Amino acid sequence: MSRNFLETESPKWVEQGIISAEQQQQLLKLYPPDAKAIGLLPLLGSLLVGLSALSLVAANWQGLPEFIRMTLLISALLAAYSTGEYFLRRGNQSVGIGLVGLGLLLFGAAIILTSQMYQLIGYDVTGLVAWAVAGTALTYLYGSRFLFVLTVCIGGIVQGYNTGALGAFSYATAGLTALGLGYYWWRHPDSLLGGVFAAGLLWQTGLLINFLHIKITWFFVPAMLIYAFGDWQSDRPAGRAMQGPPLAAAFLFMLGLALYGEAGSYTNLLRPPLLAYLAALVVVLLISLAGKRARGRLESATDWLLLLPGFYLPGGLPLAVAALVVLYAYTGSMLWRAHREQNEERVTLGTALFILTTMVAYFKLTWEFMDKSLFFLIGGVLLLGLSWYLRRRNAQAFPTDKNQ
Amino acid sequence: MPEPQPLPHRQRWLLLTLLAQVLFIVAVAGAGYATMAYGRTITLRTTPVDPRDLMYGDHLVLNYTISRLPLNLWSEPTRPRRGTPVYVVLRPVGEAYEAVRVVAKEPAVPAEQVVLRGWVADNWRRGLRLRYGLEKYYVPEGVGKQLEKQATRHPMLVHISIAPWGQARITEAQVIK
Repeated sequence: MSRNFLETESPKWVEQGIISAEQQQQLLKLYPPDAKAIGLLPLLGSLLVGLSALSLVAANWQGLPEFIRMTLLISALLAAYSTGEYFLRRGNQSVGIGLVGLGLLLFGAAIILTSQMYQLIGYDVTGLVAWAVAGTALTYLYGSRFLFVLTVCIGGIVQGYNTGALGAFSYATAGLTALGLGYYWWRHPDSLLGGVFAAGLLWQTGLLINFLHIKITWFFVPAMLIYAFGDWQSDRPAGRAMQGPPLAAAFLFMLGLALYGEAGSYTNLLRPPLLAYLAALVVVLLISLAGKRARGRLESATDWLLLLPGFYLPGGLPLAVAALVVLYAYTGSMLWRAHREQNEERVTLGTALFILTTMVAYFKLTWEFMDKSLFFLIGGVLLLGLSWYLRRRNAQAFPTDKNQ
Repeated sequence: MPEPQPLPHRQRWLLLTLLAQVLFIVAVAGAGYATMAYGRTITLRTTPVDPRDLMYGDHLVLNYTISRLPLNLWSEPTRPRRGTPVYVVLRPVGEAYEAVRVVAKEPAVPAEQVVLRGWVADNWRRGLRLRYGLEKYYVPEGVGKQLEKQATRHPMLVHISIAPWGQARITEAQVIK
């Protein structure tokens, strides 16, 4: 219970005779004002001093001799790490880890600034890999979720810079973030980290696909490999969190295909050689299924319905219809599973996705044949009916919740 | 002060990580120095990428005469793929060096020629676009404004130092008047 809440609410309780004025004071004593808020002031003060030092250095950076610049970079790095360690020893976890994170950011800045100083930037992709290596090492050493997230971001930034500015993809960065952080997450399963990690890997996968100039649907082979990794995780919520981003990507892709696939002009971009693509996908499917079986979650295999390669159908209406069928198969199976498992959250999500799919389907299949007002009328009635029906199903599935 | 048991072990690793980071930064600086100290200096001709907006903050974007090469300089039987490293053989033509041929393996060349490593950025039917990692020049303080004014119209000469181990860096840039 927060002190704030007590302070605002407790006078009413006294007024209504629920508690006495003495009891109110006793209760308030139980929740003293947060001492940490006071500890924040020196921190903010030093932040301002630090910022002024930073702007002073930045303004004169080019004019400083190289030796001074190097000394400044290295001493800032050492200062951030050592004060971080000092705060950690004193038990101030958040400030300590924050400063270690600052040290890590300074390391990246030092690499970039030093290579600029000696005109070495952009020479090859190895320079910035060291940044991701340092982030991974610190994540293990401090066992910190914050540093994990920071390292995922650093990996993404390094890769974005490599492909964007240098026109090269650093496989070392990709492999390192995948294996190093993947192993950490495997040993210390966590939902938030799973989602962040999967999103970071997907970002790098996207950059790789773009860099290699191959058919964009190849994206889903590594994406589903990330999904399959989540299947093998014994911690179920963490595993599901890891699977969220790949599924979201597949769903959005299918939704886009249903909406715009009809154009047909770019469908050539979607079709890798059929046998090679299917073989690769089936291998990943088998890995995923084996994981699901080992962890007793075979019923979640319906997720794979999203990966049905409907995009091999000829462009135009068949393609859009195929995408819709895939979307309906997925959302339908999701709702069915949610009702069977009595999982209310998933029912809500499934309902939302189902309605979204229906809207797209309706828009796609009827726009050209129907008068617009009729279109909106029927669409509205259809959605209302659908939501009423699903609500009723919900009520039947969770009768206790509705009665309360 | 008694420490928990695993701490010294962790501390040792922390110190090692920190030391490695400092060493890495020093090594980057060392590579820059060494390339200049032991390298062979050549001059390349370059033209501004976008004459109206030459300065991107604190650096110039350079496009060399050897950044785009005709495919007939490529001496291998198969066409080069994007992203693969190549070796460009250069020889002096007038005040700057120009490309003689492009090969896949590092070649031995006569004394007046030099080899510069590059990467295939793009290839099309008749030509190659190469990336050398020398496309950005971080302009030193004071020189910036002057260069900016002059380089908008004139081509530039850039001095490159190539180390025996293949690394290259810009040492100086000047505008041809």
